[in-house]
Amino acid sequence: MTTLSLHGLRKTYPGAGQAAVHGIDLTVESGSLTALLGPSGCGKTTTMKLIAGLLTPDAGEVRLDSAPITTLPPERRGVTMVFQNPLLFPHLTITQNIGFGLRMRGLSPDRIEDSVAAMLARVRLDGLGDRRPAALSGGQQQRVALARALVLQPKVLLLDEPLSNLDPSLRDEMRQLIRGLQQETGITTLVVTHDQAEAVALADRIALMLDGRLAQHGPPQDLYRRPASIAVARFFGGVNFLAGKSQRGIFHSPLGPLTLPTGAPEGERILTLRPEALHLGPGPNPRTAQVKAVTFLGTQNRIDLTVDGLLLQALTTPDLAAGMAPGTSLTVSLPPEALWLLPPDGTRGTGGPTGPVPPTLRA
Amino acid sequence: MTDRTRLVLLLAPALLVLGGLFLTGLGLTLLRSFRYVPALGMTEPDLSAYTAILTAPGFLKSLVLSLWIASVSTLIAAVLALATALLLRQTFPGRAVISFLVQLNLTIPHIVGAIGILYLLSQSGSFARLAHAAGLIATPAEFPVLTQDPYAIGIILLYVWKELPFITLILLANMQTLGEDHESVARSLGATRWQAVRHVLLPLLMPALLAASALVFAFAFGAYEVPLVLGAHAPKVLPVLAWQASTDSDLTTRPEAMAMAVVIALIGFALLALYARLVGKDSPRAP
Repeated sequence: MTTLSLHGLRKTYPGAGQAAVHGIDLTVESGSLTALLGPSGCGKTTTMKLIAGLLTPDAGEVRLDSAPITTLPPERRGVTMVFQNPLLFPHLTITQNIGFGLRMRGLSPDRIEDSVAAMLARVRLDGLGDRRPAALSGGQQQRVALARALVLQPKVLLLDEPLSNLDPSLRDEMRQLIRGLQQETGITTLVVTHDQAEAVALADRIALMLDGRLAQHGPPQDLYRRPASIAVARFFGGVNFLAGKSQRGIFHSPLGPLTLPTGAPEGERILTLRPEALHLGPGPNPRTAQVKAVTFLGTQNRIDLTVDGLLLQALTTPDLAAGMAPGTSLTVSLPPEALWLLPPDGTRGTGGPTGPVPPTLRA
Repeated sequence: MTDRTRLVLLLAPALLVLGGLFLTGLGLTLLRSFRYVPALGMTEPDLSAYTAILTAPGFLKSLVLSLWIASVSTLIAAVLALATALLLRQTFPGRAVISFLVQLNLTIPHIVGAIGILYLLSQSGSFARLAHAAGLIATPAEFPVLTQDPYAIGIILLYVWKELPFITLILLANMQTLGEDHESVARSLGATRWQAVRHVLLPLLMPALLAASALVFAFAFGAYEVPLVLGAHAPKVLPVLAWQASTDSDLTTRPEAMAMAVVIALIGFALLALYARLVGKDSPRAP
């Protein structure tokens, strides 16, 4: 069991004006499955390559437990990376692909054969060992790539977008396989993904990266319900934001005073409420709203509302949305336990405190 | 215009060149090799030109020499080209200069290179005179025989010098296409830098290396101009024998020249087919 930690990790590509990775501090707890989440180009893959030793950082350190590995070559780190593409070796059979790392370590052919056979069974590819990679489907190739890394029992396993090249029908299967194998082996695992649903479904903890910086790190529920900034809230589908002032459990907003949950911080804040938490009906913190639009999204309906001229968005089941046509008036309520206060400089990450203001703040 | 007509029209120029020049030439060569040359009064085809060249004293020696030159120069050029390509893939000061020098020979014709080698390396050449002037050897005649020598060192040197950049360029282009991801994967799976090259990059490059070597071999086996300039008096390589027979003032030797050309082509073809069979068996498929 190994804890992976990054300390002030920084990397700028030669010729690039901006740093790809902006001084990251992150601790991936021993035996955890952590998702490194972020939009394309936010520096996730660069961070992975820095951990794997395929890139050298400009500053900062990578440690396994307390031992720095920053200057070690990739093959001596005990860290194995699985790339976004399976990148199987086309000149080797599936068995030889999985046994590659063990062969490089100089293990005897007998021992390699045993480990590979066991691994093939665990990724449910028994009987395909003698095939060439080209004879396998994309999903099977991805499983071989995973097996090829896991057979080495690395201290830390890095997976770069392991599901993005798979058909949606295969994703769930692969996700369960990764989850199952990780729990079975307890290998400290970091998974890069740009898909928040995937991160939530797969990981124990999520490290959200925005613009080369770590925006928030914690359990998935935290990033949903207790985002650290507007940027984090928005990344997880947050749309409702209200500027105001918190005083003795009351938030003074353009919608009038709203009751806050106990222990809410005081002072100038931005209040956010997830669209699925906005209650369509009477309850605490009630307001009268007009329906502007109803959008069918499949499993959910999106309702655009105006309250005192401010836009709010709600997500609800199609059943509940059935009777609502644009122009109808109804009572909505803002449950105090669902209200979350962001720091006033919460726009950091979307362009600084003077960056774009969330739409609902522009009354 | 149907697709079919358009296709025929588009292919017409290539087909004309191929059919008109190559196939007609091949046909005429074959006819003449069978001693069927009506213009010279030879109208009874037979195989006597083939028996004449195949039973001539020295045919075997010439064949062996041709094979020696082609295989040794191909092997050396391939190994050096691989090393050069691996070197040029790195970034280091002076890389651009070396890269330029390597590619420069591509523009120099074989015959010019051959004459250059003769000036530099023959016993009356510049190096012999320099060695003599430096007191390393007593007379220029003591300079090692590197041109017109029995081991064809001069010829092999020229071919290596000339074909090395050709193979290097093909390998570099191939490396570019392959990218570095497979090697990165290998490193991450615990391979050292050298292991990644040895067990991943080299096997992936092999098809390109083998194909480029086959081209170089076929050329070195069938070309006459370099051995003509740098080759020994005897034995002569097969293409030089063919060239001499075809430029002889005695027109009756023409069928033998044609027969020799056909034999060279057949041997070359057979060797390449055998080679393709040998290496094709477990050559990797492109990713």
